[in-house]
Amino acid sequence: MIGFDIVGFMISWLTLFGIYAILALTLNLESGTAGITNFGKVVFYGVGAYVSATLTAYLILILNGVDVSETPPYGIRGIILLGELGNKNPLLNIGLLVLSLVIAFAVSGVLGYLLTYPILRVGPAFVGFTLLSSGELLRIFLQHYEPVGASKGLMAIPTPFGWIADSRLREVTYLGLVLGLLAVTYVVTHRLVNSPLGRTLRALRDDEIAALCLGKHVPRIKATILFIGSGVAGMAGVLLTYYLTSVNPNMFVPAVTFNVWAMIILGGFGNLKGSLLGASVITFVDRVLTFVTPQLGIAAISPDYLRWVIVGLLIVVVLLVNPRGLLPEKPIRTPAVDVILEEFRGESK
Amino acid sequence: MIPGVQQALMNTFQYMLFYLIFSIPLTLSYRTTKVINFAHANFITYGAYVAIFLHGLLGLDIMSVAVVLAFIVTGAIAVLNNTLVFTPLQKRGSSPAIIMISSMGLWITYKYLLYMITDVARYYTAKNFVSYGRITYSDVPRGSIVGISFSQALVASLVAASLLVALLYLFLEKTKIGRAMRAVADNPSLAEISGISRPFVVNLTWFICGGIVGVGGVIWTSFSGAITPEVGDSAILQVFTVGFIGGLVSLLRTGIGAVLISTIENVGIAILNTYFGIPVSFRPFLTFVTLITTLIVFPPLGAGGGLPYRFLRRGSRK
Repeated sequence: MIGFDIVGFMISWLTLFGIYAILALTLNLESGTAGITNFGKVVFYGVGAYVSATLTAYLILILNGVDVSETPPYGIRGIILLGELGNKNPLLNIGLLVLSLVIAFAVSGVLGYLLTYPILRVGPAFVGFTLLSSGELLRIFLQHYEPVGASKGLMAIPTPFGWIADSRLREVTYLGLVLGLLAVTYVVTHRLVNSPLGRTLRALRDDEIAALCLGKHVPRIKATILFIGSGVAGMAGVLLTYYLTSVNPNMFVPAVTFNVWAMIILGGFGNLKGSLLGASVITFVDRVLTFVTPQLGIAAISPDYLRWVIVGLLIVVVLLVNPRGLLPEKPIRTPAVDVILEEFRGESK
Repeated sequence: MIPGVQQALMNTFQYMLFYLIFSIPLTLSYRTTKVINFAHANFITYGAYVAIFLHGLLGLDIMSVAVVLAFIVTGAIAVLNNTLVFTPLQKRGSSPAIIMISSMGLWITYKYLLYMITDVARYYTAKNFVSYGRITYSDVPRGSIVGISFSQALVASLVAASLLVALLYLFLEKTKIGRAMRAVADNPSLAEISGISRPFVVNLTWFICGGIVGVGGVIWTSFSGAITPEVGDSAILQVFTVGFIGGLVSLLRTGIGAVLISTIENVGIAILNTYFGIPVSFRPFLTFVTLITTLIVFPPLGAGGGLPYRFLRRGSRK
């Protein structure tokens, strides 16, 4: 057996888990709680990734006095320059990270908000399909848009912690950033789900007409939720860019969306802890496949395809066998309900 | 006459025939089974790959054989999907959204399963099946009549589309089982009470729909220059938009949608390419704009649910 780098495996798994768990949490908020069949998660993820990649690559070159119209960051000279100039100024790198996160949130969120307009009046099939096809359009657009590197994409993007010399320490620091953002996302989604808005969302999911009759502004609530969910997905895209240090259009295929769907279906619709569990299981399988198959010497079948087949089958099998997932949805915890119950008991005594 | 106009018109006609072959089964299957099947793309791909494997592994270049085989294979896949996944889910009372998500799972599974099959096939035969060239068939005529050249794809799709429309009309209007199919589409419980075996009708619908799309996939191999396991996916936006224009209910409006989308796409992109230099691969954007316009202006309320907020708000603002 060839020596197995267990710490490296753990770091790469946990980083991937963090990124995907952020996506799964927001998708669970949109689809599991609010009932919006979002088959276009990859759009917002991809937009976030490209926003940060473009911003970082161009700004680093421009701020170092390079003329980007002559040496664009997708050209060979640009890539070499990025490698040379990228990690000189820690403050600049971290500033770019913060800027990327903010702008990616805004751009993805606004895109999600705008995309809700045409789909407000129609049923889940049309919503899902419109978002799904916008993912394909994004890919076609990126493949032909020269300033973001067309089909080659952007490479050698400087990472926020590139100035740390020790590579293991760098990876661990980045892992800390990813898990920190995951924690923030979890707290925010948890608070949203267990708020009056969360109850309204469940009402929307279970019976839209009833929610409408009770005076809930269904279109506005859907748009709000898609704004938040898409914006946070954009931030996950930023984390992916800095993790892989490159982006290209073929990373954002529709299968990525279904990877996230498989996570929330496996974990349980409407249960946030379930999303974390689903994300950890599926990213673990993914990492194991990537780490193990080269060592087994199987040349005929690529682990990539095997992974997607597993993901697809998982969706179908879980829906058939146990549609509520591993951790079924629980009643919402609302402080107000506890207070009312206490008062009620107090009075009855 | 501007050069390229004839090409654009021929393309429009060719794509219209393809969209007819691909979209009418989509509408038909949704009407009868109430399942929005995103695995529809797989039927196209698998149909095409039946022809490719026949050509690449056995050296067979007879389209009629490929058509019959593809009909059986894709029809069988459709029936299998129904028996193993859709029917159990429907029996348990799952919501249409859940069934739709399961069809998404099937879509991903079949797509990458085909990638794996092509990988294995390449491993043993050293042939590239992931991007396969156009197949020239020996049993399909081609030539030019009055200055218009008929490619093999045009001849085959013309024959297939006319047969499809004629046979489907006769089948649905004149035969007993066709009328049973319409009855199930209109009111499943009433149909069952009057003695129609609903599971049989649903399975038959899936077989026919899957088969027809598979035949379309075979014809696609004589049209497209590079066939990849993504052929079905690249057509899915147009096929579903055509179906949505018909509201997934009306076969006639689906036909009109096929004409509309192929015209908008081919004529539109020809104009944009000539005058603005926009690459031809941006044609899905035109379809997407049409889709969004359809959803905003004529929200399809009949199929797949949805609330008429527009009308509701107009009433409440008085």
